[in-house]
Amino acid sequence: MRDATGFLREEYEDIVEKGFDWKLRRLEGPSTPVCTVDGKEVIMLCSNNYLSLSNHPKLREAAKKAIDSHGAGSGSVRAIAGNMDLHEEAEDRVARFKGTEASLIYQTGFAANAGLIPQLCGKGDIFISDELNHGSIIDGVRLSKADRAVYAHNDMAECEKVVKEVSEKDYRRILILTDGVFSMDGDVAHMDRIVEIAKQYGAMTYVDDAHGEGVIGPDGRGIGAHFGITGEIDVEMGTFSKAFGVVGGLVAGSEDLKKFAYNKSRTWLLSGSHPPAVAAAQIAAIDVLETEPEHVRRLWENTNYFKKEIQGMGYDTGDSTTPITPVICGESHKAKELSTRLYDEGIFGLPIVFPMVARDKARIRTMMNAGLTREHLDKALGAFESIGKDLKII
Amino acid sequence: MKVIGFLVNPIAGMGGRVGLKGTDGVVDRAIELGAEPIARAKAEEMLGHFKELVEENAVRWLTCAGTMGEDPLKSSGYDNIEILYEPEPATSGEDTKAAVRAFIEKGAELIVFCGGDGTARDICSVTGSETPILGIPSGVKMYSGVFGVTPVKTAEILRDHVEDRLTMTEVEILDLDEDKYRDGEWSVRLYATARTPFESTLIQHAKVMIEEAAEDVIREEIAEYIVEEVNENPGTLFLLGPGSTVEFVGKEMKIDKTLLGIDAVRGGELVGSDVNESDILRLLNDANECKLIVSPIGAQGFVLGRGNLQLSPEVIRRIGRRNIMVIASPAKLKRTPVLRFDTGDAELDSELAGRGYFSVVIGYRLSRLVEVAK
Repeated sequence: MRDATGFLREEYEDIVEKGFDWKLRRLEGPSTPVCTVDGKEVIMLCSNNYLSLSNHPKLREAAKKAIDSHGAGSGSVRAIAGNMDLHEEAEDRVARFKGTEASLIYQTGFAANAGLIPQLCGKGDIFISDELNHGSIIDGVRLSKADRAVYAHNDMAECEKVVKEVSEKDYRRILILTDGVFSMDGDVAHMDRIVEIAKQYGAMTYVDDAHGEGVIGPDGRGIGAHFGITGEIDVEMGTFSKAFGVVGGLVAGSEDLKKFAYNKSRTWLLSGSHPPAVAAAQIAAIDVLETEPEHVRRLWENTNYFKKEIQGMGYDTGDSTTPITPVICGESHKAKELSTRLYDEGIFGLPIVFPMVARDKARIRTMMNAGLTREHLDKALGAFESIGKDLKII
Repeated sequence: MKVIGFLVNPIAGMGGRVGLKGTDGVVDRAIELGAEPIARAKAEEMLGHFKELVEENAVRWLTCAGTMGEDPLKSSGYDNIEILYEPEPATSGEDTKAAVRAFIEKGAELIVFCGGDGTARDICSVTGSETPILGIPSGVKMYSGVFGVTPVKTAEILRDHVEDRLTMTEVEILDLDEDKYRDGEWSVRLYATARTPFESTLIQHAKVMIEEAAEDVIREEIAEYIVEEVNENPGTLFLLGPGSTVEFVGKEMKIDKTLLGIDAVRGGELVGSDVNESDILRLLNDANECKLIVSPIGAQGFVLGRGNLQLSPEVIRRIGRRNIMVIASPAKLKRTPVLRFDTGDAELDSELAGRGYFSVVIGYRLSRLVEVAK
């Protein structure tokens, strides 16, 4: 007789044995720069809440008010009866903020990539992708019958060779896909060059700027503004769940893109729309970015200070130029040990180890927060220094 | 504890220094010319490094008496040894085969050997594609895919195997035909495939979760793509080249593909098995379109000109560069960073090299550019 569900436990146990299972940490209370994790007060160095907006009074207030005026849920998918004024207002605000003709908000960033990417290229088309792109892009690509070609990470010479080679074949559409800020290393795609290459060979461009929205560019307007090419990237995709402090995927580009995208993305068409509180908080987040430039400024002050100090100690931080600073430790056990001991000292930084990164490049991936004070940073840096020396990493 | 067979071909590599390309059948001549044994030093280098990496009792060694294994193991400080075979005073390939048979009988899960392509062939004739093998490079020729790049690298692979970090894959066992070579003719033959431990490819699975993909999973992906192409283009002739990567495609197509030969498929049906040059030319006469599926020889990177001489310059010109699909797993490409075309027609080779790179299929509809040697 067949064991219908035995695999659930077997496969889970296999994951545990390999040490690849996720051990969930519990956040008790709000996601603040200093917060309570599993009962212990810690300085948070691994949240995506870069600007601490998730707990900003204006976002909290907007969310509460929207519940009073619009209720707790939206009642439907947007295509049928769940398209509220708040949803449309949020999209207008995104477009204005990003300097694009239009924008479309998906339920999550993953839903945007998984829903839109397979619609942009199909049989007879080709995706050209950076080899280190995020899993949601890869899943989006896998849902398509288009061919794919990869180029070495951030290697623009190879990217151009691939585009040139591909442009001589009989492909109908060519789409270059890249992360904006790469989430493991904190380096930035050469978007200006990618757009140039794309224009030369008649290709489209798509950037996943999840870690760049609200972080890079003037007032956190993202990678297009960062390179001075606002409106020139065909699809600028981002998320409300990181620097914006809420949740939701966003796509900014032309009006044509918006109409194409919502008519064709199954993830958008078949998921319930955001609750009013979410849409209102999204609008409030953009308000804050437009009127309170100090958050982005403080994020970068903190980033520059932390990066300079940690490099000064002798830590390798790879090619990072953003608030994601990988603190590279070498072998996996060193990163794990460093993380455990940091936690004992009240600092929360998760280790990233093989197979997520190369065997000798295990690291603590730190993410800066605008709400951390100099005292917090000095405490964290002191711990990185003493434990790092103890473990002979530095 | 791991049970590993350990074997040294004490005369491996002796021909090289004295200008013989190999020691197959000419060991006396090599000694006469002043050749000295080098295999023992290579074996000791590997064992010495391995000892630093892995605690001593992690491995039980099954080996042969004297120079064929016992001596270098003992001089490297290992005593967890079981001697299963006493070789003849002047060792030969027959000793190698007998020893390997004894190791397997005693439950060896991996055979580590020190030698060259000839030794690999002898061992593989016993292990087939069952027991995996791993080579410490010491021969004059090391074209087969079972060798570590250096003895130190071999020790690291062995460490990773002992720590269960590796998966197994099939690689080609190649050897130069030494009699022909000494007469001035270069002829590399594909003799068999063997299993060897392999670092798997990392693939991104889902959000920030990356999984190791076994070599077979990647080969399946490549095969799935080619099977789709075959089904969608029923009028196109597909020529499937030799080697284990392409053999996998044949399996997915459910045709009886030869391992070492070239086979022809149209509309999912086998229309030619182990075809020669004139068969191919005849098939091309009847075909409007043709795609050639080939995989480079691991490490050396030959796409054409080794092990597939049926693909003559005339055949290749008729097929055309854009109809050649080169397939290889990312792990194979890691060991094979440069591709080579050596059709015997320099003009054609340079045409094939194009701008210095070739697009290689590395997964389902997935390709990347790989450098081509000029």
